Amino acid sequence: MATAVPDTETRFAELKRYVEFSAEDAALLAGFRTTAEPHFERIAQEFYDQIRLHEEAHAVFTGEAQIARLQRSLVRWLERVFGGTYNEAYFAETTAIGRVHVKVGLPQRYMFTAMALIRLSLMEIAEASGPHGTRVSRAICRIIDLELATMLESYRDDSISRIQHVERLEKEALGRDLAKTQHRYVNAVELARVLIVGLDDTGVIRLFNREAERVTGHGRDEVLGLELLTALGIDPDGDGAGVDALLRSFRSPAPDGAASDGSPLETTIRTRAGHPRVIRWHFTHAPADGDDVSVFALGLDSTDERATADRVKQQERLAAIGTLAAGLAHEIRNPLNGAQLHVTYLDMALRDIDASADLLDTVHVVRDEIRRLGGLVSEFLDFARPRPLQIKPVVIQEVLARTVQMVTSQAQTREVTLTLDAPPADIELQADRAKLEQVFLNLAQNAVDALASGGRVVLRARRQPRTVTVEVEDDGPGIPSGTPIFDAFFSTKSHGTGLGLSITHRIVTDHGGSIDVETAPGRTLFRVVLPVAGPQTQSQPIPGVNDDD
Amino acid sequence: MPVTAISTPGPFRVLVVEDDERSGRMLAGLLRRDGFTVDVCLGGLAGLQHLAEGPAPDVLVTDLRMPQIDGITVARLARTHCPTLPIVIVTAYPDLANRLDGAEPMPQLFIKPLDYSALVGALRDLERSA
Repeated sequence: MATAVPDTETRFAELKRYVEFSAEDAALLAGFRTTAEPHFERIAQEFYDQIRLHEEAHAVFTGEAQIARLQRSLVRWLERVFGGTYNEAYFAETTAIGRVHVKVGLPQRYMFTAMALIRLSLMEIAEASGPHGTRVSRAICRIIDLELATMLESYRDDSISRIQHVERLEKEALGRDLAKTQHRYVNAVELARVLIVGLDDTGVIRLFNREAERVTGHGRDEVLGLELLTALGIDPDGDGAGVDALLRSFRSPAPDGAASDGSPLETTIRTRAGHPRVIRWHFTHAPADGDDVSVFALGLDSTDERATADRVKQQERLAAIGTLAAGLAHEIRNPLNGAQLHVTYLDMALRDIDASADLLDTVHVVRDEIRRLGGLVSEFLDFARPRPLQIKPVVIQEVLARTVQMVTSQAQTREVTLTLDAPPADIELQADRAKLEQVFLNLAQNAVDALASGGRVVLRARRQPRTVTVEVEDDGPGIPSGTPIFDAFFSTKSHGTGLGLSITHRIVTDHGGSIDVETAPGRTLFRVVLPVAGPQTQSQPIPGVNDDD
Repeated sequence: MPVTAISTPGPFRVLVVEDDERSGRMLAGLLRRDGFTVDVCLGGLAGLQHLAEGPAPDVLVTDLRMPQIDGITVARLARTHCPTLPIVIVTAYPDLANRLDGAEPMPQLFIKPLDYSALVGALRDLERSA
């Protein structure tokens, strides 16, 4: 640069100019040395005597040995001051002395008073020395000012370096704070069980937290730089339209400030594996200088929530239908009763007149059909309005023994072998005994019904640490695959109601257990697994259904 | 066997309480054919009047759900007259019978449509033990 030529004047030269120290002064000092020198020891002695009188100043020193040493240094310093050569080397020496003062922590005020004392002593000598005394005195004043100024420079340098040190420390602390804050925010974002997606002005993903990775199955490296809708497979014409509109409103808010970020937006996304999941998003527009992320999308996976809500809705619908149907079913029993009584009378009357077998058979068909309708009503009510479970300790062997007892005659008629295979030690569980009997009676009867003569049915019970498994196995023809055996009103029997397995299924699940079936020609096995501890949460009765009237 | 109730000499007397007229009359008719002495009351109110004024029954056969006065009330009044009176319930609403839980002797329960021969069997048993 052409304008400012740096001043080449040294610091020492500048100081000399400031105190007006001239070559003449230098010569005067050199000439005065022989006069002054004999007084140096005395000056040093008096100086330190003076210091001893001052308690605080004296406290700066560590002991007499140090004072003696410093006294000698003071003499050497006086010799220097009258050395006559005041160059850069001289300046360097004075600076070094100043640094020692700084280092030992000598307060600056002591340096001033010390210099004043020495100055007075020297000036007295000069004034008494003859006609040049005044000029010499001035020279002494200037050299001492020069010394003081130089030493003060050391103090200044020191305080600058100390300030710099403090600044450095502060900066480091600030850096640490910043790192800590950053660490906290990164953790908060990464560990949150919320999808956090940061978008830039153009709707491109710039931030994708761990939960977002977990729920979507996409790694952040796969989605960063992509548009939100594209990356998550959100239908741009469906759910995505709302998101798009919102993002656009963020970019250019309507004049009335309609860029709302209040209500959540629900979108169906596609995971990496292609599964749909429902995410409820809250979009917040938070532009900041120096950050490319201007929109934060906070999402919650509400897939299960929605499924639960759907299930509850379905349950409520079924409950309403169930209540209606149950009321109807009850009332059907009354006309059935009238019909049955009259058919009974008809049967008796026909017998009295020795009516033909044909006529009697006809009446019996009506009687049997009424009975069947009655049975259907009872089973339906059992299904539609289950009573709350009566949970008590139940020994599974006792339940199965009773089941065998109840099915034995039916099995004998069909020449089916019935076997009970259970360990001798009681297997006890918390359950509703009557309901369990209903379950196993139903399964055992089904098994016997499925068999031609000569078939075998085995009831098997086993205990696991937390569960009891009961299997009902037959060697019948098996169930064709895809048969909805657990669906209500599905039956393959000519006289079945189609409710038996539905009720069975419900009782088992109400107990917190599970039922499944393995079937193939020649072997069908129903497996019921029940928790030993019983149902963990008593299934809540559906309002208005369990209560009669 | 200790005799607690005063056994009535003569035929076994059945009181039928049923609000459905045709069913009530038909049940009474069938029981008479089978040799029982039957009083039939159409409804709970008639049942109460009969219990208060009519001949004491050996067994009460009652419906449960009836307008105004239900079978539970009839059964309770019958038991105040005769604490050991056997009670047979014939109902379309068997769950209602739990309001008689703890009653001794326990009422027998038949669900409609009634299995008539089962009812006759039960009445014959009661007649024998009366």
